[in-house]
Amino acid sequence: MGKMERFSFVALVAGILFFLFADFISWALPMFVLKDIPKKSVEDLAAEAISRNSTAWSDFKKLARYYPETFKKLCQYEEAFSGAKKIPENECKPNGKTLAKALRIGHRWYVAEGCWNCHSQMIRPVSNETLRFGIPGVSNTVSYPSEYNNELQAPVLWGTKRIGPDLIREAAVHNVGWQVAHLYNPIYTSPGSNMPPYPWYFTKDSKGNIVPNERGFGLLTYIMWLGSWEVKPPKDFRINIKASNSAKVEENGNKNLAEAK
Amino acid sequence: MASNSQELQNLVNYGLVKAHVAMGLIFFIIVATMGFLYSLQLDGIYPFTGIEFLSPGRIRMIHTAGAAYGFLVNMFTGLLYWAVPRFTGYRILSDKLGWFMFFALQAAVLITVIGVLFLGMADNVEWGETPWWLDPIIVFWLLLHLMQFGAPLFKASQRGPLYVSGWYISAMLIWTPLVVFMGNMIPRFWAVGSGAGAVQSTFIHDLVGLYVTPVAWGLMYYFVPVIMKKPMWSHGLSLLGFWGLAFFYPMNGVHHFLWSPIPMFAQYSAVFATVAVEFAVTSVLINFMMTLRGSAEQLKYNVPLRYMYTGAIFYWITCFQCAFHVTLTFQKVIHFTDWVTGHAHLIMFGTFGLWVLGMAEYIWPKLFRKETMYSKGLSEGAYWLLMIGVLAMFFDLTAAGLVQGFDWIGLNPWIDSVNFSKPFWYFRSVAGIMMITGLLMYALNFWKTATAKTGLSAELRAET
Repeated sequence: MGKMERFSFVALVAGILFFLFADFISWALPMFVLKDIPKKSVEDLAAEAISRNSTAWSDFKKLARYYPETFKKLCQYEEAFSGAKKIPENECKPNGKTLAKALRIGHRWYVAEGCWNCHSQMIRPVSNETLRFGIPGVSNTVSYPSEYNNELQAPVLWGTKRIGPDLIREAAVHNVGWQVAHLYNPIYTSPGSNMPPYPWYFTKDSKGNIVPNERGFGLLTYIMWLGSWEVKPPKDFRINIKASNSAKVEENGNKNLAEAK
Repeated sequence: MASNSQELQNLVNYGLVKAHVAMGLIFFIIVATMGFLYSLQLDGIYPFTGIEFLSPGRIRMIHTAGAAYGFLVNMFTGLLYWAVPRFTGYRILSDKLGWFMFFALQAAVLITVIGVLFLGMADNVEWGETPWWLDPIIVFWLLLHLMQFGAPLFKASQRGPLYVSGWYISAMLIWTPLVVFMGNMIPRFWAVGSGAGAVQSTFIHDLVGLYVTPVAWGLMYYFVPVIMKKPMWSHGLSLLGFWGLAFFYPMNGVHHFLWSPIPMFAQYSAVFATVAVEFAVTSVLINFMMTLRGSAEQLKYNVPLRYMYTGAIFYWITCFQCAFHVTLTFQKVIHFTDWVTGHAHLIMFGTFGLWVLGMAEYIWPKLFRKETMYSKGLSEGAYWLLMIGVLAMFFDLTAAGLVQGFDWIGLNPWIDSVNFSKPFWYFRSVAGIMMITGLLMYALNFWKTATAKTGLSAELRAET
């Protein structure tokens, strides 16, 4: 027994050996099991949103349309901590670059404000969570590993408490107008809510209206991006039919019909 | 007596003890106030609405990170400066290093506060909200910490087996830098997604189980026998308790993310390890309770001893509760609810908080060459307010957690669960007022003891 009670033995066996064994089972082996899931960068996520025409992309375009002054300022905005750099004027329109920048800025401030302390980002397969978060039939899957394998979940934002609802399927739940009003002062949309107001993400535009500022724009983009990969992309109902593309339009229409069935 | 204390004064650096314990107490009051402010936000009466740098979300991160690094690390380090030289018989490595580490620690906490509140640089690692660029410096500090306290332990090991406190502290010295590095660096740079989640959950629990718990138990095994002037009841149980903790505790971590996308084998092993730890904990508690047998009347008048046994009982309650609520079945209802918050506060405040306060109250008069604390009234009043306050908070939030959990399962609109929780949150603020008042009374007692010219409570003198 005497040998077990000395510094070197304790340090080596308990301090190192037991620790490494526990780490192996707790996270090293799980990481190995999941190693083939690719890690996506923010640019990948933005490209994915655009190519799938997800709600994140359409919401981002809406934000740019509703708040053009802020969008211009967003292109000029620089923030070292989140890697946000200036975007030149000729590229300052809704595209992969601006979407990625908005997501970076939004993610940074979501973390900085501690939003993850009250809002979780993980749907469990129990307790009716799939019925509560998102929209059943549209976006109700349980959280799965590959949706967290990206730059915006390093470290993860699964969360620790739900004082407010889970946000990982938020894209399916609220529209732009609701999100803007809610971020400015949650009581405007949810009487009885005890979420604090965030007026410092807003500013006045040249006409005196309250609009999101650059950080607010990013934060709103990020929040509305959450879960957009799960939501079926909206079909653009405004179709331009000309003789040159009527066959294509009909083909698309038939495809949509087949998918919808 | 005089020459003995002279020897001891050469062994123990009183200045370092006083500095760390005083800063620890100051931070305790500050972080408790942060917690109280956050509670006011949930009650809808936050006093600083609309001010970005006092936003409740950021205040909450000061509360958690501040409690860990400002309060606990300071208090524990101060108490280690007292205890380790005494039970090993050797000095710490270097006094100069100690002062450098003291100022570096306070600077790290201050930088964290500035980084989180003003610069928006918090890290989204629970209990690791320190900005990520500060974390390598903290790991370096912990390596210095290993050298500082490892030196006397290593030297004592050369002479013979260490006392049980030495096992806990030796293991802790190795674990802590590894854990802090793992939890802050790996999820950011090398892992993503579920893997990162597994690392983060291991980190949260390892910080409690491999830093806070071993230091706290190591100090308990030292202070309790010293105060009661009798040895621990069983060496065997001490061994069982330590090695049980050392083997099973590190694997607990994933229990923070049950039902998550982490592979199930890791989740099952975490549940198993958590239940196993409860057996180790029970053996430690049996040891302490059997040591108390025959001396229980000391609890009536010896407030430090009372803090220690109260904390020990709360510790057992928390771990017993944990063995049940860690199961996947229980988790369905309570995960993400206030049940977990109640659990966390019973252990962090009700056990570790009360323990360090009791130990500090025991050593504080000695540090200032007084026979007793300044006032028995303040001493007792602080104890009862703190004890009842944290117990009230625990019962309140446990009930709130059940309400929330079942409400969510029942698919009521979200705002219903918020409205149902509000009475519990109001009560929690009341418990918070009790806890802060207790802390202020305690601090006043400390201040008076340190600064009083003679100032000895006659009642306390009669009883020591």
